[in-house]
Amino acid sequence: MPKSRLSRRKLLAGAAPLVAAPALSKLVLDGKASAAEHAGHEGHMLAGAAMVGEGTPAPGGPHDLDDLLYPSAPQPPRPGRVREYELVAHDREVEVAPGVFFPAWTYNGTVPGPVIRATEDDLLRVHLVNAGSHPHTIHFHGIHPANMDGVFEVVDVGTTFTYEFPARPYGMHLYHCHSTPLKKHIHKGLYGAFIVDPAKPRKPAQELVMVLNGFDTDGDGENNFYTVNGRSFYYARYPIRVRRSQTVRIYLANLTEFDLLNSFHLHGDFFRYYPTGSGDVFEYTDTVMLCQGQRGIIEIDFANAGRFMFHAHQSEFTELGWMGFFEVVD
Amino acid sequence: MEARAARSPGSGFWRIWALLPVVLLAAVVGVFVTSGGSLVELIGRNPPSLDEFEIRRVEFKSGEIRIRVTNPQRDDLTIASVTVDDAIVPFSLDGDRELGRLRSATIVVPYDWVEDEPISVGVTSSTGIETTEEIAAAVETPGASVKGVFGYGLIGFLVGVVPVALGLLWLPSLRRADQRWLAAFMALTAGLLTFLGIEALGEAFERQAQLPEPVAGAGLVLLGVALSYLTMTFLGTRLARGEQSAAVGAGALALLVAVGIGVHNFGEGLAIGTSFAFGELTLGTFLIVGFMIHNVTEGLGIAAPAAESRSRLGVRRLALLALVAGGPAILGAWLGGFASSDLLAVVFFAAAAGAALEVVVEVGRYVARRATGGLRSGWVLGGFLAGIVAMYVTGLLAA
Repeated sequence: MPKSRLSRRKLLAGAAPLVAAPALSKLVLDGKASAAEHAGHEGHMLAGAAMVGEGTPAPGGPHDLDDLLYPSAPQPPRPGRVREYELVAHDREVEVAPGVFFPAWTYNGTVPGPVIRATEDDLLRVHLVNAGSHPHTIHFHGIHPANMDGVFEVVDVGTTFTYEFPARPYGMHLYHCHSTPLKKHIHKGLYGAFIVDPAKPRKPAQELVMVLNGFDTDGDGENNFYTVNGRSFYYARYPIRVRRSQTVRIYLANLTEFDLLNSFHLHGDFFRYYPTGSGDVFEYTDTVMLCQGQRGIIEIDFANAGRFMFHAHQSEFTELGWMGFFEVVD
Repeated sequence: MEARAARSPGSGFWRIWALLPVVLLAAVVGVFVTSGGSLVELIGRNPPSLDEFEIRRVEFKSGEIRIRVTNPQRDDLTIASVTVDDAIVPFSLDGDRELGRLRSATIVVPYDWVEDEPISVGVTSSTGIETTEEIAAAVETPGASVKGVFGYGLIGFLVGVVPVALGLLWLPSLRRADQRWLAAFMALTAGLLTFLGIEALGEAFERQAQLPEPVAGAGLVLLGVALSYLTMTFLGTRLARGEQSAAVGAGALALLVAVGIGVHNFGEGLAIGTSFAFGELTLGTFLIVGFMIHNVTEGLGIAAPAAESRSRLGVRRLALLALVAGGPAILGAWLGGFASSDLLAVVFFAAAAGAALEVVVEVGRYVARRATGGLRSGWVLGGFLAGIVAMYVTGLLAA
C-alpha cells in the first residue's frame, strides 16, 4: 500500500468532493449536469486512490466503488516492514441510493472507509487526522497494546493521532470509531475493513471485500437503506464479474447499526466460510449470519457460469438495497 | 363648507401619500431579502427544513399503485426513492422529480398488491427523509364510472334526502300541536343543530391537525366557520326582507335551517365518500341505516319552524326543503369518492359548523320572540336538551 504525506492543501483538495457531493446527482437530476461534470472529472482524475489527499471515488459509475470492493494485493511476509496509512475523518454527503444523499461522517470520504491491509507482524502505522466536526477515534479489532485501542485517546477536531502496533492475528477484521455516542458515530459511517494476511500466504484467488451496512437517513433509529460497500442495489446494477476457473474469496464484515443481524446468502452454489478468517476450520454452506462486528472469509468455487444473485437472507434488507449479482464467466 | 374647501386641493396629494407605507415596505423588504439572511446569523441558525411530502391520495388500480404527493414546504423537495411495504420499488412519475412549493406529482408504481390487506407506501426525499402512509386495506379505487357515480349518488340520497323527507312528514302533526309543544320542538331543532355544529367543529379540528404544517392551523377552521356563518347571516337578512317584520320569519327560518343542515350533510357525504374510497370504512347496511335514523331528526328540525309558518307550505316547497337539506349529501359523496382532498374536508367541516351555529342563533332569536316564557321556559330548555340527547343516541347507531 502506498503511503502518502498529508499537507493542509491536500486536505482542502480532499474536501472538495464534500462540496460537490450534492451535485453528484447526475444520474437522476439533469439540471445539475455542469456541477456533476466537474465532480466527475475530479473523480476520474483521482480514481484508484484511497487517501483523502488524493481524493475519493465519485459515485454514479460502474467502477466508482472499486477501491472498496477490490483490496490491494497481499504482501508476502518480510520482517521489519512498516505499513503506513492515513485516514482523514471528515463530514461528507454520500449518495447511498440513486438520488438519496446522507450527511455522513467518513474516513477518507467513503462509507465504509478504505480497506486497511497488512501481513501478520507488519508494523502498522495509521495516522488519524480529524478534519471532521466531532471528536473521533479508530478502534481496531485485533491484538494491540491498551493505549492503541482507540477508546481513551480521543482525537479532537483539528488534531492528529498515530496508531502503531504489529498487525495480528491474521484474519478478517474491522475498524471503527469508538467515540461516544457510539451508535451515532458508527451509523454515521466511521468504519471499514481491516485484513491481516497470514505469514503463510493464502491460495491465490479473486479477492473481494464486502462490508455490510445500513443507513438511517431520516433519523428514526431504523435503517432506510441496506447496502454492500455503501450504495443500495449497486451490484445489482453493476454485477461483479468473476472467472469460474479461479476461487472467489470474499472478505465479509457486518457493520450494520440498529439491526441485530445481517447475513449473506449465495444463489446457485455453496461456499466455504471461515469465521473471522483466523483458522482453517470452515463450514460448507450457502448462508451465513453475522451480528454487528462479526466477520469472516468466504471462498466460492463456482460450479457454473452465469448470473447468480447474492443478498441478505432478511427479505426486508434485500428489498431495501442489500442485493447484487455475480456475473460468472468461463 | 370652508374647511372642506380648504382641504380639497390637497386631497390628491394625500391619496398618493397613502401609498407611501406600501412603497417603503417594499423597499425595506427588498433590502432585507437581498442582504441574504444575515439577520438570522446574529441570533442563531435556521433549523433544516422538514423535507416531508404530503401524501394526498393513494389509489389502487389493477397491477398498479398511484401516489399523489405535494411539497408542502418552502424549499424544493425531490422525490428520490419510493417504497411499498418497506421495499424499494421502481416507479414512474407524471411531472417533475423536483417539486417546488405546493407543487404536486403522481407516482405510478407497478405493483401486484394484495386485496383487503394493509399496505404502506413511502416516499423518500433526496435528503433521505421518508414520508409514509398506512392504508388499512388495499381495495381497488373506483374510477369515475357511471356505476360509481350512481352508487355514491344513491348513498348520498339514502343518508341525506330520504331521512329529511321522512322527517318532514311530521309537519301535519306539528301544525296541530299546542304552542308550547311547538316551542319545544323549535328548541329541539336548536339542540340538534348545536350538536351537529359541535361535532363538525371537532371533526374540523381533528382533520386540520393531520394536515401538513404549513397549511394546517386552527385559523383554517375559523376561516371555514366565519365564511359559512357570515354567509348564512347575509342570507338570513335577505330572506327576512320578504317577511313583514325585520326579523326572520318562520318560513324563511325553515329554509335557513334546511340550508344549515344541507351544509352539514355535504360534509357527511364527503366523509362517507372519502373513507370508503380510502378503504377505511366498512359501508354496511347497518351504517347506512344508522345515518338514516340519525338524519330523520334533521327533517324534524326543518318541520318545526315550517309548522310555525302562517302560510301553508305546498308539497313542492317541502320537496325543495328536503332537497336543500339532503341533496348536498349526494354532492359530498361524489366529491369524497372521486376527488377528495384533506384540506377541502377541513374547510367543509368548519363550514358545516358555522352554518349550524348561525341557524341556532336564528332559531334562538325566533323562539325568544315567539314562545311564551321565552328562552327560559321549561318547554324550550327541555326541547333543547332533548335535541342533543336525540342526536347523541341516534348517532350511536352510525358509530
